[in-house]
Amino acid sequence: MADEQRVLERERSAVDEAWRGLDENARLPAAAPPKTVPAEPLVPVPGQQIRAVGQRATRPDSRYHGLGQTRYIDDLALPGMLHAKIKRAGIASARIKRIDTSAAESMPGVMAVVIGREFPVNSFGPTFQDQPVLADEVVRHAGDGVAAVAAVTEQIATAALEKIVVDYEPLPAVFDPLDAMREDAPKVHPPKGNICHSLAIRRGDVAKGFAQSDHIFEGRFTSQMVEHVSIEPHAAIAAWDANGRLTVWATIGRITLARADLARTLRLPMNRIRLIGTIVGGNFGGKNEISQEPALALLSKKAGRPVKGVFTRGEEFIASTVRHPFIMDYKTGVTKDGRILARTARLVLDGGAYCSWSETTLGKCCVLAPGPYKIDNVRSEAIVVYTNKTVAGAMRGFGAPQVCFAYESHMDDIATALGIDPLAIRLRNAFEEGSPSPTGQVLQSVVVKETLLKAAERFGWEVRS
Amino acid sequence: MKRRGRGMACMWYPIGFTVAANPSAAVVKMNEDGTAVVLTGTVETGQGSLAVLGQIAAEALGIATDDVHLVSADTDATPMDCGAIASRTTYVTGNAIRLAAEDAKSVLFEVAAQVLGVAASQLEARDRTIQVKGFPRCSVPIGEICKRAQITLGRPPIGSASWNPPTVALDPESGQGKPFSTYVYATQIAEVEVDDETGEVEVLRIAAAHDCGTPINPMLVEGQIEGGISMGIGFALQEEILFDGAGRQINPNLTNYIVPTALDMPEIDVDIVQNYDPTGPFGAKGVGEPSLVPTAPAILNAIRDAVGVRITSLPATAEKVLAAIKAKRGDERKQIPA
Amino acid sequence: MIDVTIIVNGETRRASVPPETTLLALLRDHFGLTGAKVGCDVGDCGACTVIVDDRPVNACLMLAGQADRRRVLTIEGVATKDKLHPLQKAFEERGALQCGFCGPGIILSAKALLDQNPEPSRHEIRDALAGNLCRCTGYAKLVDAVSDAARAIRSEQLHD
Repeated sequence: MADEQRVLERERSAVDEAWRGLDENARLPAAAPPKTVPAEPLVPVPGQQIRAVGQRATRPDSRYHGLGQTRYIDDLALPGMLHAKIKRAGIASARIKRIDTSAAESMPGVMAVVIGREFPVNSFGPTFQDQPVLADEVVRHAGDGVAAVAAVTEQIATAALEKIVVDYEPLPAVFDPLDAMREDAPKVHPPKGNICHSLAIRRGDVAKGFAQSDHIFEGRFTSQMVEHVSIEPHAAIAAWDANGRLTVWATIGRITLARADLARTLRLPMNRIRLIGTIVGGNFGGKNEISQEPALALLSKKAGRPVKGVFTRGEEFIASTVRHPFIMDYKTGVTKDGRILARTARLVLDGGAYCSWSETTLGKCCVLAPGPYKIDNVRSEAIVVYTNKTVAGAMRGFGAPQVCFAYESHMDDIATALGIDPLAIRLRNAFEEGSPSPTGQVLQSVVVKETLLKAAERFGWEVRS
Repeated sequence: MKRRGRGMACMWYPIGFTVAANPSAAVVKMNEDGTAVVLTGTVETGQGSLAVLGQIAAEALGIATDDVHLVSADTDATPMDCGAIASRTTYVTGNAIRLAAEDAKSVLFEVAAQVLGVAASQLEARDRTIQVKGFPRCSVPIGEICKRAQITLGRPPIGSASWNPPTVALDPESGQGKPFSTYVYATQIAEVEVDDETGEVEVLRIAAAHDCGTPINPMLVEGQIEGGISMGIGFALQEEILFDGAGRQINPNLTNYIVPTALDMPEIDVDIVQNYDPTGPFGAKGVGEPSLVPTAPAILNAIRDAVGVRITSLPATAEKVLAAIKAKRGDERKQIPA
Repeated sequence: MIDVTIIVNGETRRASVPPETTLLALLRDHFGLTGAKVGCDVGDCGACTVIVDDRPVNACLMLAGQADRRRVLTIEGVATKDKLHPLQKAFEERGALQCGFCGPGIILSAKALLDQNPEPSRHEIRDALAGNLCRCTGYAKLVDAVSDAARAIRSEQLHD
């Protein structure tokens, strides 16, 4: 009885009498249901059915979207729900000497605090599990989370983060991927070196191909770090039932894997975890792995109440994944009429602090790097490097936009130097049905030339004399 | 002075994960009135996958798109799925749903075969009936068959299936193998106007010709291409996360990290190139990621055409373009004999 | 705590809230009108756009107190009991919204435009939507839909 009294006291002292009264109402949607429009009967007349494939069918969610009725995670509320915020390291590379959460824990309105070492397994990752849920020994980038707080309001949770004291011992950091490749560079994941993965694809004999070429062209191209910027930030709600079963509503696009990750980090059997995805407000690759969910689950368990966490826009940038910046060196040997005889592509991917989707990205960009062209002699090599920056993960295209920028800019440079029309040089070299890819795969359903000709026709591309 | 230029880029892009298994599973349940409920573990992230998957199920079952309801994204109720990633949903989850529908249909054909007095192999599902192939008058409404199956014969028509794209691992030495089951292709051509006094680049129009196999829902394919192009424009000209010397982001906000607004977008002409991939559901492949791949090089090639400078690092901000223009002018001046 | 009275979607609503409460928090957390979204909370993205006394406003930048005694229109008030607004109808027919998160804000910005300018050019439409970020659609079908809606409204008015 005494415990419950204390909990109630802390809630009361955190908020006004009037506010608390309103707080009750705020947890459940208090307004009268919004005015809605009854949907017309959707069943079409039998015998007049339109073929489904190829139909410009209305999406089932269009009407809800237009009425503002679509419920995203942040629009959901459960009785007694708390709000969580995560403390971000703010320092790119450091050892955590001490975390003192006592001042935050005793703040009125704060119902639970968790730190990294409280997780049964404090690591996750789609390929390597090298990323902590919350950093407990070492911080590897400024967006690493080090503690999580659940409180009765978002404002109190945010204020409580300030009260958490962390003593850091700064460690050497490396930010440039070419620097990070050197033997003497500070190691992001000691004792492992900074090369997270590498891959090479070889076909034919590039040395011979270059020797036979009339001209050789080289170019270096680089691309920057960008963010998905889904308009909906990452959001999740965690709640336990009386049987110790965890339900998580989350903006995750890959719920089967997320359930496996929760089972692993929380050491729970999978049948005790239910992961529900609702309609996500944009993913683009940034919401395909867990982030705050295990922390919300643990907070919920400690507080005995559902906990919702929503990333701030700032966290979207620093704490969620980004696109890999690339450094790309291309060398191409051509005949004087612009036929490609040999090409090498060397790619360095800046992977940031943890592996995340780097291995998948590496595989894709390495295969795609030579471009959609018939090349008998090709070598494509790629390396992902750890640096103490924001984690590079999955983002729409997995390396393809970066390499396409390089190989198509390079192609135009070749065309200009040889005085060949950009359309003509591409038609001369493009894949055809049955062409072999750089990995020796026989390609089917190939229509590169059709897309070139169609776009040119639509654009009104005329060859300049 | 404003100078115009044009540039093109073509690309190829795979569907699914690199070599690794990425299956999807699905369940199709026929209701007693011939409508259907489909269970899929995928998540609708805005691209319209639930609409497309519903259309695939409807086509497979011979009923209307509106006759299909999808239940998704619940690990308790829906079967596993590798997720809305790698442009795989139409292709992989679509195939799983198509196969699950075939599984449910096999029950319906067995029942209808008895009613019509023919062999199950002579039947097809179309126009909300089960009919003898090529003989629409010899048919029974699908609702009647579903009801009969469940209520009279005690065999509810439920079908389930999974599908995984066939691949071959890459040889560790040479990288040779079949990393993906299928690829899509596209070309985009951009016209830009560059102000050679400020370096500002305006994209005037883009023609985009994309292959996606059979377009299950052309309206949604267009939406993906238009959306992808906007991301491509941001990638080409505006977006960049900047760091200070201590590894902290300088611009983690939407005031200083610039993404395209409605005013930054050109008019876009979209063409879906006719194609059919026999390995995909009704010939479909995918389009979610390919949409943004060729945009940046098309724009950068157009900049080169307009003002003769090759920007080799993204984004091609006004500062970079102007600096390159000035450097080029400087070079040209040096060439004039004294 | 301050007392605020606002007319939301035609109904008078009252609340007693801490003074720093934004109009967005008032609508979402107190009145359960979750159509206006939190995209950035600092006025950069437009996902919280509502119409206050005929002007489109980022609800996250207005304090609840500043909305006292004013008329606020949110997405929930755009349709009537019997009919979709022409904007909602056009958006649906064009498949204009994808994830839909920016949708309420875009529809309200568009409504504010059409209420002032019944025959906007495509450029004027883009300009009216310039404060609403969308990452899914490239704005293409959004602009087409607003054009369609403008035409539909004008033809409705001709028949009235």
